Amino acid sequence: MNKEDVKTGKTNWPVTILLILGCVTIFFPLYMAVIIAFKQPSEMTNDIAGALSLPEKWSLYNFQEAMRVTDFWNSFGNSLLITLVTVVLAIIIHGLAGYAIGRSMKNSKFYNFTYLYIVSGMFVPFAILMMPLVKQTAQLGIANRFGVIVLYTVFYMPLNLMLYKGYLTNIPIALEEAARVDGASTWKTYWSIVFPIMKPMHATVAVLTAMSTWNDVMTPLVIMSGTGKNTLPLAQLNFQTQFGTNYNLAFASYLLALIPILLFYIVCQKQILNGVVNGAVK
Amino acid sequence: MKQKKRASAAICLLGTALTVGFLSGCGAEQNNGKTRIEIVQYKPEAVKAFEALEEKFNATHDDIELVIDSPNDAMTILKTRFIREDYPDIIGIGGDVNYSNFLDSDMLMDISDYPGLENIKESYLKTAKELEFVPEEGVYAAPYMANAAGVLYNKEIFDEHGWTIPTTLDEFYQLCEEIQAAGIQPLYFGYKDTWTCLAPWNAICVDLAPSDICSQVNAGNAKFSDAYRSVAEVTKSLLPYAQPDPYAYSYNDACTAFARGESAMYVIGSYAVPQIKSVNPDIQIDSFVFPASNNPEENILNSGNDLQWSVMAECENKEAAYEVLDFLYEDENIQTYLDDQNAVPCKKGDFELPSMLDGMKSYIEEGKIADYQDHHYPSEMSVDAMIQTYLMDDSENALDTFLDKFDTEWVRYNRDLIEKVQKYYEEHPEKQTEGGEES
Amino acid sequence: MKTSRGAQERKRTFLMITIPVLVLFFCFNTLPLIKGFIYSFTNFKGYGSYEWVGLRNYVDLFQDSRVGKSYLFTFKYALVGTIITNVISLVLALGLNSKIKGKSVLRGIYFIPNVLGGLVIGYIFSFIFTYVLPVLGQKMGIEALSSSMLSSTGKAWIAIVIVGCWQAIAMNTIIYISGLQTVPEDVYEAGSIDGVTGWKQFKYLTFPLIIPFFGINMVLCMKNFLMVFDQIMALTKGGPSQSTESISYLIYQNGMSGGQFGFQSANAFVFFVVIVAVSVLQMTATNKKEEQL
Repeated sequence: MNKEDVKTGKTNWPVTILLILGCVTIFFPLYMAVIIAFKQPSEMTNDIAGALSLPEKWSLYNFQEAMRVTDFWNSFGNSLLITLVTVVLAIIIHGLAGYAIGRSMKNSKFYNFTYLYIVSGMFVPFAILMMPLVKQTAQLGIANRFGVIVLYTVFYMPLNLMLYKGYLTNIPIALEEAARVDGASTWKTYWSIVFPIMKPMHATVAVLTAMSTWNDVMTPLVIMSGTGKNTLPLAQLNFQTQFGTNYNLAFASYLLALIPILLFYIVCQKQILNGVVNGAVK
Repeated sequence: MKQKKRASAAICLLGTALTVGFLSGCGAEQNNGKTRIEIVQYKPEAVKAFEALEEKFNATHDDIELVIDSPNDAMTILKTRFIREDYPDIIGIGGDVNYSNFLDSDMLMDISDYPGLENIKESYLKTAKELEFVPEEGVYAAPYMANAAGVLYNKEIFDEHGWTIPTTLDEFYQLCEEIQAAGIQPLYFGYKDTWTCLAPWNAICVDLAPSDICSQVNAGNAKFSDAYRSVAEVTKSLLPYAQPDPYAYSYNDACTAFARGESAMYVIGSYAVPQIKSVNPDIQIDSFVFPASNNPEENILNSGNDLQWSVMAECENKEAAYEVLDFLYEDENIQTYLDDQNAVPCKKGDFELPSMLDGMKSYIEEGKIADYQDHHYPSEMSVDAMIQTYLMDDSENALDTFLDKFDTEWVRYNRDLIEKVQKYYEEHPEKQTEGGEES
Repeated sequence: MKTSRGAQERKRTFLMITIPVLVLFFCFNTLPLIKGFIYSFTNFKGYGSYEWVGLRNYVDLFQDSRVGKSYLFTFKYALVGTIITNVISLVLALGLNSKIKGKSVLRGIYFIPNVLGGLVIGYIFSFIFTYVLPVLGQKMGIEALSSSMLSSTGKAWIAIVIVGCWQAIAMNTIIYISGLQTVPEDVYEAGSIDGVTGWKQFKYLTFPLIIPFFGINMVLCMKNFLMVFDQIMALTKGGPSQSTESISYLIYQNGMSGGQFGFQSANAFVFFVVIVAVSVLQMTATNKKEEQL
């Protein structure tokens, strides 16, 4: 990109300005969320000036209260644990599966079938799995955080498998063959050669898996309910009870749930965007 | 070596699944020799009161450990736990169609030998009885708290203008006209949340439709299109007195608007008061029974079992469960709950009722109450959404469309039940006449 | 000798990896799917006892006006949503891929919606649709905006489309950008020598080269829009007048919270078949297009 810039040297200002103006559509809803989160219930009015205005004072009271009600640190810890373990498992298991299946598909009906079988799982609506899964996880005794992690590992398998397999088709097999000639086992070859090469794809998988896991409500809701353990989105349901909705606390709690992933995004923005681009190109 | 590693990785994956499971699954029931009683109750807004009660119980009882869960979305949680066959000992739920379904599925224990039942007001026990799809032998619910629905009004505004409480429908319309003439919004609805459409609906139903209409229809003796015609008309007639476009505003918005004095009245239940007070702690609220009939004698308070206890059939320690119930029904513990929530106790005795129920007190004392009719509607039929559709329908035959739909949908969603009920009455023809007389 | 032993070892290793993965996938995806399918022949409420009802649920399904309406709504929503999302993302991607200042910052900003959870976004928008837009509409004298979109049976679905697109555009834009980056610069140079610029350049040079990305976007977008749930839950809960009940919402609402588990299992199974059919159709269509060009 820099190259073209240098070459033509001209910035397309009209497009730049249009794009900057377009950012309003992104920021406006977020602005609303922030001001509502800081206001008190008595400041909420049913008219536009009141709705758009800044809060009278910037008090962290709503956030403290929201943290207390949602038992923030515990829910945050659970969300973090589930997300991290799911990402690590996704990279290990889906990477291996992508390698084994991707490298064998060329001349094997079995692996071709396996690939299509798993990828088609992408189209199964969660709704039909929900009830049987509740029963099944309970029978296995994994109606807990562990069970949720296992389910995520299965739910994200189709997409991640597709990504890994796609990435591998662009990696020449020669490297692995060279290692094999040196006497390395397939297992060792994978970890020492293939795994490092797939690093960009690991980033993609990690990002996509982390975002879906972090924001998911349904799976923990039906699997972990009644175990006394919450994830952050699940804790937010505290504010959606029929007879006591409190916008201000709820929005403060939403922001609390949004901030970690937003921070994560701002810090790793470059890797994330590159990761997604990688996923798309394959 | 490598192979072993690989194999163990695979085994780990499935193995841990099982071991972790067993570890977390077992070891619950017996806890340092105490009997554990677990309650799941469905009112998350009462969590503070129950936390206090739980603590008090455990401090005074050495042999029983009481755990009270007050989860959000408790119905989904209870249903998922039932799928898992992981039953609590006691459930505290509302007297609604879920109770009927649980009972119908033989999940609840007969507690007719529980001595505490004597102290519960007859009318509430009867309310619970009427929720049974087919008359059952025994008692399956101990009503704890009731709520009441009708019209909440802003006392300050009323006092300022000297308005009086209406006792007939015409008076009510007249009052609305007067309020409008004074430049104040008479009513405010939060019809975006469809369930709020049921608040006026229920309050009007108790005055104008027979209380056991659903059982009558199931038995094949009546039709909704006859029984609900006037109910539907009155419900719709309130719209001109409400804010424009009530379907844009949620329950929360309506509570906020009422709390700010934007409307003089609000047709809703007593359960809305804490929400209203959270916006405006100083508001003075009182209430009156919705006068849907022009004969004041026919107007009845809409009151149902807000919270009732049922012991699960799977409960192993009936004695301990009864001991917990005894504790919950102690007068001072009931008062703990009342101070926190705006409810009406189902136990006989003198309790301090919240002041916003002043206008309904005489009805409560006389037992002139009838249950919410939606407690008999299957939730998947979404009657609330049907009412919303009807209210929004401006066409001339809206009423007939709605009533016809009500009858046909009812049959579709209750097919298995109707079959069961009619079979029951074929086998027990004597019960049917009993049921008929009651109405 | 050595290679064949190596190949043997490789095969064995692959099998050792694949089989546990397959077992895991079968246990937690296919098995519950089969169980759900079996439940679709019962009147199971989710708890308690149940009876076999044969094909009754499927017969009911095709006569149920509510289910029919939910299919109509979902497809209308998915079609319109997919088209809008793809058009805007493509335009945005072209803009973000052109010679602009602050390119990476702008790209970063336009991706934010995708990071945020659908439920929360829905709640925020619900507030905007209820309070901000109507007043704005009244001030500007736009009749159509002067009352809340969410309360009108004719307009509520548009509000849901807006929120759905707001979130979906982020991902699609990035996918298109990565597509545009695969187009070599000399293609444009060659084109501009022949005088092919602007719309023509896009139509004849750029677009054909990014058809595979167009294909990915169409399939993923359509699938996600067909399964819409969070937005409905947060914005309308299926209302007003049941005009925005999506298939997923209906399945959850009546299957899980209500007592129609058996019937909704039948609905979910038919829905699954429909989604697969739509996706396969789309994929064959884009493949054909790709071959033609």
